[in-house]
Amino acid sequence: MCFMRRNSKFFLVLFLVALFTISCKTVYQPQSVKYKDYRFTNNSKQDSGLIKILQPYADSVNKSMNTIIAVAETELEKKQPEGTLGNVLADAMLAKAKQVYKIPVDAGFINYGGIRLTSIPAGNITRGKVFELSPFDNIIVLQKLSGKIFQEFLNHISARGGWPAAGVTWQIKNKMAVNVLINNLPINENGVYTVALLDYVANGGDDCVMLKTIPQINNGYLFRDGVIAYFTEINQQGKKIASKIENRVSNAE
Amino acid sequence: MQSRRKFIAQSALAAGALLTSNSLFAEMQKDKALKKLTILHTNDVHSRLEPFPMDGSRNQGLGGVAARAALINTIRAEQEQVLLLDAGDIFQGTPFFNLYKGEPEIKAMAAMGYDAATMGNHDFDAGLENFATQLKHASFPILMCNYDFTNTPMELKYQPYKIFRKGKLKIGITAVGIEMTGLVPDSLFGNTQYLDPIQKANETAAQLKKEEACDMVICLSHLGYKYSGNKVSDIVLAKETENIDLIIGGHTHTFMDAPEMYTNKTGSDVLVNQVGWAGIQMGRLDFDFAGFQPKKLSKSHTVIVGEKTNE
Repeated sequence: MCFMRRNSKFFLVLFLVALFTISCKTVYQPQSVKYKDYRFTNNSKQDSGLIKILQPYADSVNKSMNTIIAVAETELEKKQPEGTLGNVLADAMLAKAKQVYKIPVDAGFINYGGIRLTSIPAGNITRGKVFELSPFDNIIVLQKLSGKIFQEFLNHISARGGWPAAGVTWQIKNKMAVNVLINNLPINENGVYTVALLDYVANGGDDCVMLKTIPQINNGYLFRDGVIAYFTEINQQGKKIASKIENRVSNAE
Repeated sequence: MQSRRKFIAQSALAAGALLTSNSLFAEMQKDKALKKLTILHTNDVHSRLEPFPMDGSRNQGLGGVAARAALINTIRAEQEQVLLLDAGDIFQGTPFFNLYKGEPEIKAMAAMGYDAATMGNHDFDAGLENFATQLKHASFPILMCNYDFTNTPMELKYQPYKIFRKGKLKIGITAVGIEMTGLVPDSLFGNTQYLDPIQKANETAAQLKKEEACDMVICLSHLGYKYSGNKVSDIVLAKETENIDLIIGGHTHTFMDAPEMYTNKTGSDVLVNQVGWAGIQMGRLDFDFAGFQPKKLSKSHTVIVGEKTNE
């Protein structure tokens, strides 16, 4: 009897301890959230500690990057299917590809995502600006494409909204390239075209799988160096960087 | 009788006074503070250490780590429980990266006290070995649950998740990265294996919520906010998973007007947010939590979203 009582008391304690333990295990759930976006401007308070950390890096970056290499006549804009910024960069691509490889090149392209600024304002263009525009160490390469593969590539970049191009014009219809003209002649499926591309694209970047297995001519010339040289040369001729929409790439009605 | 009644009245008064007394009020406030969490977040900062230059460009004067650090310090002084997170693409975009390969970027993040970050496709840009090397300047972990870095320089430099104890709360954070093929040159990602982000995020989130008993699961994501095709995005991630409460996104450089709410596989709310790029903005989310007994916890739950206006 005595044993029984002690035993039941023991279980009661155990039960209460268990109950207490369970009830203590509170879990939490988010009930409400308030959001806010902060925008940092010139007037925002600056932390001196971060400025100090940055200083040595910033000094040398600014020293090498603040050189003015050219002047933009108007604001240059990154736009699809065609923009003034893309046109001038595609022109630089084609001009430099011809100059560096010393062979005829039919067309030059830049992937839209490869342009890393949305615009360049009218006025001075610094060396650093071109680094921001094209921060990647992309190389200008040549590929010889059959008319069929070329058309496939144009369809692919049309489905992506249109990329900057030089030496070729087309219209985008149902995400396909139509009315394609290369050096003012219609594309020929059996023809062979020499095309200047960034190695990133030629290697299959931005899902350009159709280019991946095609041999590349590559002498390691950086696209960014090409743009800096192209801008510098225009400046040395006493001209400004000018660009306009020429219906190189347009959406079909 | 009179005195007895008086005694009761006085006792009640005393108890009332005690309830509103400073110490008890402070206790209650303290308890409330322990169930609050402030999340600060950035994405796609792209080496923008200094503000955009004053050259007439659209973003001139915007961004910069010195301004961000000052604000973070202010918020940390006001709020007890803060988590500072980044959703990847720390690298590439200014000459700082071309010259120093990410050293000042990581140093700045360490100085700002980032709690965790994930990897974006551009963090591969100077090679995986470079990214791994620059992490020696980091005081925060790189989280990633759907890249297998076995036999790469990142093998020992990342973790699939981390659990943070914030006041009374246990917060689990994991992260997912975008598919590299067709986006990152093969030579840069090397032996890195891309695994299904939905499956891996689901597995990791379940582990965090169920086994580790986290009160909240956050997923940092460099998948991108939304696509027109059926490419996996933050929206797909939100809808196709369980146990994730918040997705901090990146990659698509989306400036969202407000965080967006989606319903996950079990009918619970998932919040998705992203703050553009270049450190022009920093997002802030202030969560209030409530305690429940596990058995009273509803299977699905709704979070009320409001704009923070008291500033």
